[in-house]
Amino acid sequence: MAFASVYVPNFMLQAAVRAEPELRDRAVALVDGDPPLWKIVATNAAARRAGIEIDMGGSQAALFPDIEIRRRSRSQEKMAHAAFLDVGWSASPRVEDNALDTIVLDIAGLTSLFESVKNFAAELTERSASIGLHPNVAVASNVEVAIHAARGFPGITLIPPGEESARLSSLPIEVLLPSIETQETLRRWGIRTYGELATLPVPQLSERLGQEGVRLHELACGVYSRALVLADPETSFEEELALDFAVTELEPLSFLLGRLLDQLCARLTARSLAASAFCLRMELQDSVEEDPQLIRKRSQSNINLRTFEKTLRLPVPMRDSKTLLKLIRLQLQSDPPHGSIVKIILSAEPARPRAGQKGLFVPDSPDPEKLEITMMRLAGLVGNANVGSPQLVNTHRPGEFRMAPFSPAAQESHFAHKYVATKTALKEKETSPQSHRTAIAFRRFRPELAANVDSQEGRPCLIYFRGMRGNVIAASGPWRTSGDWWEERGWRQDEWDIEIHFDSSAKKQNSRAIPQNGLYRVYYDWVRRSWFVRGRYD
Amino acid sequence: MYTELHARSAFSFLEGASLPEELAGACAELGIPGMALLDRDGVYGAPRFFLAANKSKICAHVGAEITSEAGWRYPLLVTSQEGYQNLCRLITRMKLRARKGEGHVQIAELADRTAGLICMTGGEEGPLAHALGNGGIKNGIRCMQQLCELFGRTNVYVELQRHLSREEEARNQAAVEIARRLHLPLLATNGVCHAVPQRRQILDVFTCIRNHKNLGSAGRLLSLNSERHLKAPAKMKRLFSDLPEAIANTQELSSRLQFTLNDLGYKFPVYPVPDGATQIHFLRKLSRDGLISRYGNVNERARLQIEHELTVIEKLDLAGYFLIVWDIVRFCRDRGILVQGRGSAANSAVCYALGITAVDPVGMDLLFERFLSEERGEWPDIDLDLPSGEQRERAIQYVYQRYGQLGAAMTANVITYRGRSAAREIGKVLSFDVETISRLTKLVSAWEYKAANDTLANQFHDAGFDLKHPQIRKFFDLCLEVQDLPRHLGQHSGGLVICQGQLDSVVPLEPATMPGRVVVQWDKDDCASMGIVKVDLLGLGMMAVLEESLQIIHKQYGEEIDLGKLPANDPVVYSTLQKADTVGMFQIESRAQMSCLPRLVPKCFYDIVVQVAIIRPGPIVGQMVNPYLKRRQGRETVDYLHPSLEPVLARTLGVPLFQEQLLRMAMIAAGFSGGEAEELRRAFGFKRSEVRMKDIEQKLRLGMTRNHIASEIQEKIILAITSFALYGFPESHAASFALIAYASAYLKCHFLPAFTAAILNNQPMGFYQPATLVKDAQRHGLKVRPVNVTCSDWLCTLEENGEDFAMRLGMRCVTGLRREVAETIVRERAIFPFTSIHDLKLRVPFIHKSELTMLAEIGALNFISGKNSIHRRDALWQVERVARRAGPLLEKIELPAMSEGEFHAEERLYGDEPSGFKTSPLKPMTSEEKLRADFNGTGMTVGPHPMSYHRKKLKRQGVRCASELSSLPNGIPVRIAGAVIARQRPGTAKGFVFLSMEDETGIANAIISPQTYDTYHLIVVHQQFLLIEGQLQNQENVISVKAEVIRPLPIVRVESSSHDFH
Repeated sequence: MAFASVYVPNFMLQAAVRAEPELRDRAVALVDGDPPLWKIVATNAAARRAGIEIDMGGSQAALFPDIEIRRRSRSQEKMAHAAFLDVGWSASPRVEDNALDTIVLDIAGLTSLFESVKNFAAELTERSASIGLHPNVAVASNVEVAIHAARGFPGITLIPPGEESARLSSLPIEVLLPSIETQETLRRWGIRTYGELATLPVPQLSERLGQEGVRLHELACGVYSRALVLADPETSFEEELALDFAVTELEPLSFLLGRLLDQLCARLTARSLAASAFCLRMELQDSVEEDPQLIRKRSQSNINLRTFEKTLRLPVPMRDSKTLLKLIRLQLQSDPPHGSIVKIILSAEPARPRAGQKGLFVPDSPDPEKLEITMMRLAGLVGNANVGSPQLVNTHRPGEFRMAPFSPAAQESHFAHKYVATKTALKEKETSPQSHRTAIAFRRFRPELAANVDSQEGRPCLIYFRGMRGNVIAASGPWRTSGDWWEERGWRQDEWDIEIHFDSSAKKQNSRAIPQNGLYRVYYDWVRRSWFVRGRYD
Repeated sequence: MYTELHARSAFSFLEGASLPEELAGACAELGIPGMALLDRDGVYGAPRFFLAANKSKICAHVGAEITSEAGWRYPLLVTSQEGYQNLCRLITRMKLRARKGEGHVQIAELADRTAGLICMTGGEEGPLAHALGNGGIKNGIRCMQQLCELFGRTNVYVELQRHLSREEEARNQAAVEIARRLHLPLLATNGVCHAVPQRRQILDVFTCIRNHKNLGSAGRLLSLNSERHLKAPAKMKRLFSDLPEAIANTQELSSRLQFTLNDLGYKFPVYPVPDGATQIHFLRKLSRDGLISRYGNVNERARLQIEHELTVIEKLDLAGYFLIVWDIVRFCRDRGILVQGRGSAANSAVCYALGITAVDPVGMDLLFERFLSEERGEWPDIDLDLPSGEQRERAIQYVYQRYGQLGAAMTANVITYRGRSAAREIGKVLSFDVETISRLTKLVSAWEYKAANDTLANQFHDAGFDLKHPQIRKFFDLCLEVQDLPRHLGQHSGGLVICQGQLDSVVPLEPATMPGRVVVQWDKDDCASMGIVKVDLLGLGMMAVLEESLQIIHKQYGEEIDLGKLPANDPVVYSTLQKADTVGMFQIESRAQMSCLPRLVPKCFYDIVVQVAIIRPGPIVGQMVNPYLKRRQGRETVDYLHPSLEPVLARTLGVPLFQEQLLRMAMIAAGFSGGEAEELRRAFGFKRSEVRMKDIEQKLRLGMTRNHIASEIQEKIILAITSFALYGFPESHAASFALIAYASAYLKCHFLPAFTAAILNNQPMGFYQPATLVKDAQRHGLKVRPVNVTCSDWLCTLEENGEDFAMRLGMRCVTGLRREVAETIVRERAIFPFTSIHDLKLRVPFIHKSELTMLAEIGALNFISGKNSIHRRDALWQVERVARRAGPLLEKIELPAMSEGEFHAEERLYGDEPSGFKTSPLKPMTSEEKLRADFNGTGMTVGPHPMSYHRKKLKRQGVRCASELSSLPNGIPVRIAGAVIARQRPGTAKGFVFLSMEDETGIANAIISPQTYDTYHLIVVHQQFLLIEGQLQNQENVISVKAEVIRPLPIVRVESSSHDFH
């Protein structure tokens, strides 16, 4: 038995440099968080020499000259990790995905392909370098020894059987990753290295540090033995299609997408899974950059025009390729790619398929798949941000709401909720101080209508909007609201409820039917310094 | 005309955003003739509003919003003294039965106390809004009928507020309907929460703090708009143009509110004198008795002074006050509690005769008018210094017992938003993460001195925050806005107010956080402004040290020391002072004092008085220090600002050093009476009274011109007074402190072990950290022994060490060790010595593992098994074993106590060798590790100083010891190194930074110029050990190094701390 562990030190930074190789010889620091509260999470040696420290504020780091500051990208790390795993699988079919920065390979019987273990380790280093990562590689007869040696020693380390304890003994205790409490105890005991820990008697150690102590001791001695936890390469469902000729039309693209979807759905079905989301990524031909309009668009919006990405989140896990194709087509219709496609990558997020039983007396609801298609069609018409269920927002800002994804409640609870809501509303109406007054409905204009208003002694007296002119015969207000003063989107509005008598001469000019009188809500926006009509009372 | 009858100030604690003074100012500006301040559940802001309103000639009405059982509030206005008393009692009752900051009034209580009160219906938090919301008009009518029954139909007003909100207007319409039906008057108010519209932002911030939300999540809890500000009468008239009677009624109601805070009805208690005597007779008798015991029979000057003072006291009817203070002092003396009056009371011969103060004002020719005069029209102020801690608490409890819970209370201390607290709260409200908040709050501290480029904007920039970023800018602006607004009510450290009869009818009382304490709603300045007498029972750490030293000396040395009879002019004390060897001594231990002592060369008690007074901002800013020292050394001729001032300034060589001298200068040069002179001092000292200051300055000039004093001399005299008045000590106060300073010096010089133990037992106090105190004591020959569970008590104690004593550190020095654990250890080992760590754990079962570990780490368990000592790591090895919890099966089973033999047998059973119990496979700690453990566990080390481990290497680098510096010539380049024990950047030092650095031989001082500080400020502020290169300055035995290059010293990093004055 032999195992090789590959460990990428400073993984976060290496992943970033992998995506931007020109950074390799520069002083680089990664920031995480949102400005102004961002801070440094990784640095390379050059940046450290320049004085950049972990946890330093991003703006503070920006004051240092010649430091390249990049934002941490989890997707870059994920891709680097996937590529890292690929390196593992390219060398051995038995790979353990130990951590984002560590993989372990079972190399029993493989070394003959590379003449020697050392060559094998060198090959692993080389293959990793080819994907932009520069790892430490350690080979040992024990999984954990290999992992710890890779974490602790730079470059290639080969540990022959029987020498584990001696070779590991110089490693600092932090490489063992003990719990904070145990690390503190070991510090107090003056135990700084694997070797020092290995000299402690096990029974007494067990009495003091429990099972963790025993495990750490075995790890320090290099005798902790376990089997490899094999990574399942099938957990990522991704299909990729590189095209010889660029595709520009939707129809041929649909055909190709259909093929990929069929393959993906077949794989999902074989494993009794469905997909909760699909990610479609397309690589576009370079020539698009020649289009000056697109180049300008890219510089304005900072979009990478070489790729086109769409994510399709599904309300319920699905694996019907026909339905899925319809959904993807609808998405592409509403937001088509901005160039010729040369590569398609389609990945599915696996999930358990939907299983449920409807209530016996519950009316049938639309099929979720059909509903989703309808929603998607609507989104294609009105835009993604304008479809869903409106939700009130906890603010005084008039008319503020947000769109939440449309997800009909479970039938039983829906009816129960409706019943309770009606009852509560009735009760509220009975007890409210305004209950003696007649309620009137308010019809809100979205978007609000721009208006011109003439005022007299601070009250509106004449109004023009939608090409109509009216005299304000009664006005109640102003009703003043203001807020969000700590943000740039602060507001201040004065609302008026006004009764308008429309000018009859205006009627003739306007073909639409204009009511004689009307009760409207108008407001003056102090930020935009303009009047608007918010809506009409019925 | 419109009067605002419903306003809240920031004293509604997080429900108002403007100070009472700002509200009064805004009223004056807007032409509002009067305003009623209704703070939530209190009259906290009433005195400040009253004073500010008086100045602006505005009518200050009194009231409060009182929380009901259901949570809504009764807005109450006071019409008469009876009403005010009822209001105070209502608040007191609801507050005293609830937890701090909570409480509500019960309807039955209200029914008994409505006389003199008017009830409004309030805004959205009032009774009517609540009733309408819970049952519409019908319920609203019922509510109003109940209010009419409670307060009387003529005392209920239907309040209308218009903040441009639909909901509120709907409520107003209902309210108007109800008022019409019940024939009740309407009243317009604006429910004011802030003086100006911009302050709404602070109100929103406060709302977030109150509700533990941030601005993003507070939503509809925040204000709807900014309309709750004071509005001009014309604007209010326009707002209520449809209901003119609501505006007119404000004037009518205002005229009914006859009560002002001038009519508090406060009376100082009458002291119960023996039958047949009046208070003044009794005071005369006591004073005469005191005169004889203090001065003997023959001191005519003293007799005349006492007679003069008694005449003034009688005229002002203050005999009771003196008797009550005397009574407290007598109580302390009878119980062996050290007590000494300080401050201006020491100017009074009567106080000296009564034993209240210890300084002879006649002998020292002190000015009585500084303490009491007929012109001032205010109560005298007697401050008593007591040992801090339990002894002071005993004195306070005596006052409570004597005058009853409702007859005496502590004065409040209004905690306001200051730099860091403001930054922390605002940061949270703006949703900054914890780390950013901590970085931002660190920025706010800054030094006392601000250099020109030391602006907050620059500091923000240095820390990586861009003030141009809107969020950071908003943070910055809000931090500035919120400064000085009240945050909560605390308790003043020692101010007690006493009242004849019921104090709760004068000012509402509240429970303090400390059990058994009651606190009034006003701070000491407000109490003084309202004419309420206050006695300050102040805790002084050094008094506790002196008291404890005397106890230790009595117990260990068998000697009785009477502080009143210490040998005067002790040569050892003065030689120590002259060498500035004053670490730990009261008032004369700071770096500035130390640098002055070798130049002043004190030789008698009065020199100590001068020494205490001279290092103060007043003399420093007024540039009095150098002239005085030069004249003292004979290097400058003594002259006087004016020949007439010679008698006043003679004993300070023509340089004014004390407040009394300023007063006397005013009296002589400008012909001021004693009272006028005191008025002058107060005017200069009181920030807010610029007009008054100008008036008095004018008066001073007129007087001096009348006395034919030349204008340039006038200027000099005025400059002396202005730069000095606020920041100088009164001579009497300096003399009181000098007595304590002398006593502390005497005890340190003659009873070092006892003094050191006592000062360590009373930490935190003084200028230096325990580590410095211990090292200083060791350098003076004291043997300090480390903490040891077999012989250490909770406190530091003395142990015999040949002919002298050694000091054993007490377990109180151990970080994180609980007192009850230490006391149980002491109790248990007295029954039978511990045999092992396991034995200790069994007999002190509630000791935490962290405590045991800490004891093991500092070596306190090394001798637990008797004479066969183990090393610290052996102990740590054992601790880990005995502190490990049993598994779930055995967890609840109580293990029988095991003998050592049994324990060994059990160890054998589980594979441990018996010897394994005693020792461990671990290596002993190295010296450096021990040092680190000592500092980590006790903040000090009794072993060698950290610097001594590196001396050889440092010597090779040419680094000098602190003790070497005095023998080196002035001006040579030197290198010094050490642990920073104090950093100072005083406001008076023009940006210079002073560092005190300690090594194994003593303390060296470094001076850093502003330019050098700019270059090295990060190293200076953050590094514990420094190496400084610079030029040696050895002038008049004052030695320091003028820093040129500063480097961090890369030696062991220990958790030592310095005393930094930012």
